[in-house]
Amino acid sequence: MTERRIPLVLAILAILGFAYMLLPIVVVVLAGLTAGEFLTFPPQGLSLRWVAAFLSSEKYLSSFFFSFKLALMTMIVSTILGTAAALFLSRTNMVGRAAMRAFFLSPVVLPGVVVGFALFAFYISTGIGLSRTIWGLWIGHILYSTPYVIGTVGAALAAYDTSLEEAARSLGASPWRAFRKVTLPNISQGIQAGSIFAFIVSFGQFEVSLFLSSPNSEPLPIAMYNSLRYQFDPSAAAAGIFAITLVIASVLLTNRLVNLRTLLERRQDGS
Amino acid sequence: MSALSTNVFAQARMKWLLVVPLLAFFVVFFVIPVGLLFATSLNPQAIGQVAVTADLTLDNYLRFFSRSNYLLAAGRSVILGVIVAAITVVVAYPMAYVIAKTEHPGRNTFLLILVLAAMQLDMVIRLYGMMVILGDEGLINQMLRGLGLIGAESSVQLMYNFMGVVMGLVQFALPFMILTLVGVIRGIDPSLEEAARSLGASRRRAFLRVTLPMSMPGILSGSLLVFALSISSYIVPALMGGFRVGVLPIHIFQQVAEGARFQFGATIAVILFVLSALAVAIYLRLGRRHSGGLA
Repeated sequence: MTERRIPLVLAILAILGFAYMLLPIVVVVLAGLTAGEFLTFPPQGLSLRWVAAFLSSEKYLSSFFFSFKLALMTMIVSTILGTAAALFLSRTNMVGRAAMRAFFLSPVVLPGVVVGFALFAFYISTGIGLSRTIWGLWIGHILYSTPYVIGTVGAALAAYDTSLEEAARSLGASPWRAFRKVTLPNISQGIQAGSIFAFIVSFGQFEVSLFLSSPNSEPLPIAMYNSLRYQFDPSAAAAGIFAITLVIASVLLTNRLVNLRTLLERRQDGS
Repeated sequence: MSALSTNVFAQARMKWLLVVPLLAFFVVFFVIPVGLLFATSLNPQAIGQVAVTADLTLDNYLRFFSRSNYLLAAGRSVILGVIVAAITVVVAYPMAYVIAKTEHPGRNTFLLILVLAAMQLDMVIRLYGMMVILGDEGLINQMLRGLGLIGAESSVQLMYNFMGVVMGLVQFALPFMILTLVGVIRGIDPSLEEAARSLGASRRRAFLRVTLPMSMPGILSGSLLVFALSISSYIVPALMGGFRVGVLPIHIFQQVAEGARFQFGATIAVILFVLSALAVAIYLRLGRRHSGGLA
């Protein structure tokens, strides 16, 4: 019944579109599981040799864990700073509130290479010892992950009825207690979803990391890029399988925490 | 305001404490570095020198706009952004339409999970897959050889050229466009299409005359978003173009990482930044009512 309301032509085009979007990801999984030296058509059969190669490779395994650590560090700071800022944005009606929100969200769409370059030059010229360290990368990643926390927590706050907190206050709860016992539980799933977003955005971050990484502090996307420029290394595809698993798991987890449909379709409230 | 005055952050000053940490972080690590980059672009070229000096000049901009090499790169970036935005609209619209019209909650969520997973997955991994498909020894060329359509030693050049970069950028931009369009299409009152149908329009005609025109604001803001994302990408032209498609981000990296020409690199960076900020500014003006919440 639902499907019949979609014109056939659109349905076919949509299937082709989904194939275009997802086929490369499927191919990476197959390339990581192939028995041959590289992925051929028809495939040569499955094996775990490249997964084993990844798990014993110094290069990919260490950058996988480097990225994981960096993403965790980024997640913690982005969640705290982003949640606080989202609370502020939902509770103020100052002039320029929309502008401030746009400012905090802007890194998502501004060129990561430029921001990475700006930070790189800033670290060097000020001599604050951040260039080519995990701390320097951390700062760049926080800039790019925090907007997702603000977006997700902002959506949770928009759905939350402030009068609940006021009711708690009028029943004699202290301001902090009313916030902790009433507001926080109501938006906690939004905060968790936002922190997952922050983690995964940092884990897959390439553009900002380009200028900020060094051979000693190399996130997984940079390590994969450096090897991919010269040759197809199936153990990079095997590393990709682990990253794909991580992303799918986190999206599924996000879906359990918040309603994706309402989160993604929330209109930007302009004023 | 009085309704809010009982909450924990009642006093204005207390409330500001919530936003000051992030504001300070953004000023120190975003506004100041980007500001210094603008200043650097106004300093005379000095290889290896990073620090900003008080010596201001427009030389780097004059150089940029007088060298066909860089102007071509800027033009190539803009044309690339426009082409990718146009193709992405065409590919994304049917996908968004199907998602918007799928009312079964489970199926709807499943499709959204696919889009979101693709969007969140590291671009290097997605490009690895594209390269395995499109490369000289890739799956498509193997298939063409197997079918005898091309000689055993020859291959069709599907990447390391402009077309390869376009295909990579469409792959990159699709989820963003889909999410923008789903919200817009779902926001269109279905009774309008039903009214057109009850007045005798065919399903296709109702779609072409009612739903599609009403999606135009979303198509426009999605295109601006995709334009901004496309001209900013380094990884896609680097891997899909094999450095043969010289766009602005590639030139920035070459100037700085290979030539230590910070001032000229900063000039190209400022030009790219301004181009992308312009697109984003128009997007925000248009998009207030029409776009999704995340981007």
